[in-house]
Amino acid sequence: MVSVINTVDTSHEDMIHDAQMDYYGTRLATCSSDRTVKIFDVRNGGQILVADLRGHEGPVWQVAWAHPMFGNILASCSYDRKVIVWKEENGAWDKMYEYTGHESSVNSVCWGPYDFGLILACGSSDGAISLLTFTGDQQWDVKKISNAHTIGCNAVSWAPAVVPGSLIDQPSGQKPNYVKRFVSGGCDNLVKLWKEEDGQWKEDQKLEAHSDWVRDVGWAPSIGLPTSTIASCSQDGRVFIWTCDDPAGNTWTTKLLHKFNDVVWHVSWSITGNILAVSGGDNKVTLWKESMDGQWACISDVSKGQGAVSTITDTQQNEQ
Amino acid sequence: MRLKEIQRTAHQAWSPAGHHPICLALGTSAQQLDASFNTTAALEIFETDFSDPCLDMQLKGSLPTANRLHSIVWVNFGMGEDGIGGRLIGGSENGTLTVYNPEEIMSSGADAVVGQSDKHTGPVRALDFNPFQSNLLASGANDSEIYIWDLNNFNSPMTPGAKTQPAEDVSVVSWNRQVQHILASANPSGKAVVWDLRKNEPIIKISDHSNRMHCSGMLWHPDVATQLVLASEDDRLPVIQMWDLRFATSPLKVFENHTRGILSISWSQADSELLLSSAKDNRILCWNPNTGEVIYELPTTNQWCFDVQWCPRNPALLSTASFDGRITVYSVMGGSLKAQQQSAADKISSSFDTMDPFGTGQVLPPLQVPQPTMQDTIVPPLKKPPKWVRRPVGASFAFGGKLITFENTKLPPAQSPQPVPRQVFMSQVTTETEFLQRSRELQATLQAGSFNNYCQAKIQNAKSDAEQDIWKFLLVNFEDEARIKFLRLLGFSKDELEKKISKCLGNNFQHNGHGVDAKDLAEKMQRLSTERSDDSAAVGDAARTSGSVSPADFFSRTPKENSNFQIPVSCDTDGLISQALLVGNFEGAVDLCLNDGRYAEAILLSISGGEELLKKTQQKYLSKQKNSISMLISSVVTQNWRDIVQSCELDNWKEALAALLTYAHPEDFARLCDTLGGRLECEGTEKRCLQACLCYICSGNVEKLVECWALHRDCSSPLGLEDLVEKVMMLRKSIERLRNSEVAVQSPVLAEKLTCYAGILAAEGSLSTAMTYLPENSDQPGITMLRDRLFHAQGEVAVGQQPPDSFNRVNVSTAKTAPAAQAPAPKAQIMSQYQPSAPSQVAAQSQPPMPSVFTRQAPPTNTGPGLPPSSHVLPPGAARPAMRPSYPQHPAPAPGFLPPQPFQPHPMSMGGPSAFPPPGPSMPAASLSGPPLPPSSSTPGGLPPMPSPGVPPTGFMPSTSLAASFMPPSSQPGAPVPMYPGGPHNQGPAPTMTSGPYAPLGSGYPQGGPGAPAVKPYPGPAVAPPPTGAHEGWNDPPAVRGGPRKKKVPDNYTPPAPITAPVMGFPVDAPQPHDHAQVPPGAPQEPSVKLLQQLPAERVEQKEIPAEHMVLKSTFDSLVQRCQLAAGDPQTKRKLDDAAKRLGFLYDKLREQSLSHNILNGLHEISRCVASQNYQRGLEVHTQVVTSSNFSEISAFMPILKVVMTIANKLGV
Repeated sequence: MVSVINTVDTSHEDMIHDAQMDYYGTRLATCSSDRTVKIFDVRNGGQILVADLRGHEGPVWQVAWAHPMFGNILASCSYDRKVIVWKEENGAWDKMYEYTGHESSVNSVCWGPYDFGLILACGSSDGAISLLTFTGDQQWDVKKISNAHTIGCNAVSWAPAVVPGSLIDQPSGQKPNYVKRFVSGGCDNLVKLWKEEDGQWKEDQKLEAHSDWVRDVGWAPSIGLPTSTIASCSQDGRVFIWTCDDPAGNTWTTKLLHKFNDVVWHVSWSITGNILAVSGGDNKVTLWKESMDGQWACISDVSKGQGAVSTITDTQQNEQ
Repeated sequence: MRLKEIQRTAHQAWSPAGHHPICLALGTSAQQLDASFNTTAALEIFETDFSDPCLDMQLKGSLPTANRLHSIVWVNFGMGEDGIGGRLIGGSENGTLTVYNPEEIMSSGADAVVGQSDKHTGPVRALDFNPFQSNLLASGANDSEIYIWDLNNFNSPMTPGAKTQPAEDVSVVSWNRQVQHILASANPSGKAVVWDLRKNEPIIKISDHSNRMHCSGMLWHPDVATQLVLASEDDRLPVIQMWDLRFATSPLKVFENHTRGILSISWSQADSELLLSSAKDNRILCWNPNTGEVIYELPTTNQWCFDVQWCPRNPALLSTASFDGRITVYSVMGGSLKAQQQSAADKISSSFDTMDPFGTGQVLPPLQVPQPTMQDTIVPPLKKPPKWVRRPVGASFAFGGKLITFENTKLPPAQSPQPVPRQVFMSQVTTETEFLQRSRELQATLQAGSFNNYCQAKIQNAKSDAEQDIWKFLLVNFEDEARIKFLRLLGFSKDELEKKISKCLGNNFQHNGHGVDAKDLAEKMQRLSTERSDDSAAVGDAARTSGSVSPADFFSRTPKENSNFQIPVSCDTDGLISQALLVGNFEGAVDLCLNDGRYAEAILLSISGGEELLKKTQQKYLSKQKNSISMLISSVVTQNWRDIVQSCELDNWKEALAALLTYAHPEDFARLCDTLGGRLECEGTEKRCLQACLCYICSGNVEKLVECWALHRDCSSPLGLEDLVEKVMMLRKSIERLRNSEVAVQSPVLAEKLTCYAGILAAEGSLSTAMTYLPENSDQPGITMLRDRLFHAQGEVAVGQQPPDSFNRVNVSTAKTAPAAQAPAPKAQIMSQYQPSAPSQVAAQSQPPMPSVFTRQAPPTNTGPGLPPSSHVLPPGAARPAMRPSYPQHPAPAPGFLPPQPFQPHPMSMGGPSAFPPPGPSMPAASLSGPPLPPSSSTPGGLPPMPSPGVPPTGFMPSTSLAASFMPPSSQPGAPVPMYPGGPHNQGPAPTMTSGPYAPLGSGYPQGGPGAPAVKPYPGPAVAPPPTGAHEGWNDPPAVRGGPRKKKVPDNYTPPAPITAPVMGFPVDAPQPHDHAQVPPGAPQEPSVKLLQQLPAERVEQKEIPAEHMVLKSTFDSLVQRCQLAAGDPQTKRKLDDAAKRLGFLYDKLREQSLSHNILNGLHEISRCVASQNYQRGLEVHTQVVTSSNFSEISAFMPILKVVMTIANKLGV
């Protein structure tokens, strides 16, 4: 069952492009073509405008909340080629950092797992991906992957922090040997995986299946299994699920979730990683779930925040 | 931003939108010659691979053509599902129209030409295909010729109507993008004609009056059916006019910016606000036709671009064809030209010869035109963000199964008067309906305490027999006389059995059933009790006189029946036996009997020969007997149940379990059940696994139940998990109910399952419920994080519920405040703080020996009432290991860190809210059982020395502290009631798990109280320590709970008495008035006799016995106690144990105040008699009461009262 529990009237003056809840689900950040970012306190069904952040000079495409251990931090990216990191200090939101290193629209921002510190990946239409790492004392370290996606990068999404080859907790006091990875999708129709090696970002994998722009990618949260799962959606209407059981992360298999009749703009995994929300150009939001035997089935059509949920049956699975 | 480039002088056509991959077809241009004066012509197809950053395009196929082209289009027609194919149509300079199959060109097949027509009389400059019917193609040539071609029937074109006059070249044809039968044509003179193909005539003619519009381009508006633009090639009027047919007298808008004539226009089909134009001023502009604004200027060559085209598939791409012989693909999304592209461009130049399809073999000098400058300047993207990058819709998940969605309804073309509501919907997604339903039911049950009903419902709705069995067993745990009911469930009914036995014996066995006449019954009882008391008396006498067990009984009677008898003294066996007996050689006599197969005599004799001989004889006998029940008999006689559970056939698990239920000592019971369960589990089959689960339910071993269940049943699905959690919670509730305290089950498996369960609940939006299942006080990052998240996510609802575990917050300050000293290494500092550790572990990293203990903040509620004095003497070495297994058991010097003094309070704060609740009302057992024997143990009755004083205090201390940690924290006002009260020591083997609910450590201790010393049926070793204690190493901190206690006990220590009703052990010494002062106010003082008799705990919720009746309890209890101390033989002993239990029923009735006046008066009278040791009188009053009362009211306790008095009388206590 999908039932509306709160309808937030954002009063944006133009198209909304993104709406994201913070880690706890108590605050909502929205951004719009009206160049503003707004933050609402939505606790207990309310909708109190906390901040109206102005600073971008073009449509704001995405917002991303940092993990609360760093404080209340929000990143936004815009067509104005800028990335702005906003921070709440004593109840007031202000610019903390502005990154202007991209030459074209910055289409996607995504904070890395908190285990990696405060690190932000930004994908731009200039084809590059920037990695901004807060090094303390107002300093940000910038690494740039040039020409990550020819014609442009549309989406970035971090892999959960998993120690490769081991699910056992590292001995405390010793810094876990995480490998930083993220996935990106771009106008070259490719899904690419990136890995940091010796402080340098390298292309790890190139996943080909889409026949048009990859609009969004989403690396599923870790559910304790060694499997990595990525969802990608495209202008071609297709949504693919990529999985990799191989600890080295080299062998990826793909499964077509569905071919929609319109562009698919966005994919989002539930926190537990078992449901995928897919939003398409026809204003349709669908929810998908994997059945026990590994088939993906649509369990809900959501319209204006509402919809029924069906349980997965064998017949539904076969409809694919 | 330039992406691809190729050296060609050609007309271009993008592959259609459906075509994948994106290709560009190039046909050699007519009317243009390069410096080689090459006149060959070709049709080439290039693939644009944008994953390759170099400027090259890959040539996929080439076809030499006879004619050069003026126009070329690539249509959908004939394109396969796989997104390749279609048709290429080229219009040549001599009027030939040729249809090619691009797939054939790419596979260099000979059949590339699909159709050809030379209907046109002159150069075909205009081509367009119908966007709705891909088989329809319009072409325009000179002499006003316009043909409509059907690619299905290529040879007979149609005309849209009569030729316009005067005849002139047709420079453009264009199909309407909204209405499929509308076609427009235009000619260089500036006139445009709109044709209606259904009417087959021109319907409107457009021309301004300047006569300077030399139409080089004409396009219909992609969205608005009545609008079109015209571009003028005339340098005097380098404009684009937008016309609306609804007002066709003058242009709607005129876009002026080019300084020289416009050569080509292209209107983006993906965003109608993007119109490209290229002109003789060498510029390529992008207009927003709605505003007339130039929103982009392409960085281009210094050459005229005669053709510009948006890529139909990739909306950000466009291609240009320039007179300097270049075809270039650009992106309008900005970006700069990269060095690598520069090099790629160089590569193209250098490889030009080899790629030269014209095969001149000559190195050509560059054209005499300025070289395009490689611009490194940043090209900004379109001023207006194109439609295709503006995400109109989104759906994102948030914590707690929330879904955030928004959508942007498409705006109508006209400005809508009212502002569009820009809404974001927050929805709750619930997918596991059944799971939630069941979880709610479980939650309601747990809150209401209606466990019986819940189990009943589960039994009724059970889908399988196995499921039903499990629920039946779970239900029994909530009922009285659980053991008996377990037996019944196993198919062993005492009543049934009695019937069968009596049938077998042929007796009409009289049974004290219900519904019998009270008087009659009273008589029978009278008789019965008299008999019994006679027995007891005899036993008592014998015990006193002979000091040995009661063989006298038998011998005193047997002889009476024979008046005379001979004593054989012959040399045969009889004689030898006689002689042996006569000289008192029992051992010899017994051997003789055994040798002769006279087992009965052997046993009889050995009884007289002393305990040792009896045992030996039993052993010999049993070792000789090999029939099927001998093992059982053997076990019954030798009390050796371990053998049964360890070696019985697994098919006999029921019988083995039944035997345990009937006989096993409470301390062993759980362990034995577990052993049996373990064997069943090892078998691995599902059936056995379920049987093992039943064993674990009997033993109350939550951990084992979880492990066994999780091993054999799928718990990954929410419902599977729900199945498990329901059972676990019920089992735990039943144990809690029996033990009257929260049960801290500290099993990693269970913790994992419950975390998983809480995770699912959270994902389904049941945040507060999820919180209740989350294992308490776990250091696991996953759990602490989930708790923190749940807490905050609940918003104000949860404020004050619990202080959350916070993260190790990283100070990311915007202010530049760092002092200079810190500046050199800010990075390292930050990075170390980034450790994803649980809050308490930060300190642990720097100070490994004392992990969470010192960093964990004690919740304020915890520091309240304080521990009782006995808890303050906790030696560090004993307390700490219990908290933290990894810590050395013996108090380390604590180098410079911990002076012993300040350490003392720490145990209090360590455990968090639940581990060390204020030892108030809820922990009587713990506070009373401290090493200096609590007053309650040294009752005035003059106890013989207790074993406990000899035990080193440290040995007992852990159990004391453990008992404290088991106590429910619910006694703390305002504190949350955690489901899992467990201290940080939960990583160690859980004490409750190891010993099972029936052998609790702390609170169970008093059971060895008053009755213990006199009893010896179970020799020391038989009382096993809690199982895990056995395999724990000495330095393993958890061993403190089991091992050290066992080990430090002196060897001659007599273990707690094998009382079947340990509950009674404590209460027996409780009634002394001064005890009440010892028990914290409000603490339960009465055992619940209704409970499983093995359980030592009290029920807090029980009402007090009314003060006026307390005297009954104290009198009777002290009577039983006195008897127990005086009684010598096991039989009496057992009776007294039973009495202690049964008297509980009386106390219950007193509490309930359900007894009639008559009975109460009688009881008080009896009590007075007992107090004055006038048992004879007491028995008389007893008889009166029995005869004059409702039997059902008194049947539970009156008979036993009589027995006790009789015994007391005999013992003279």
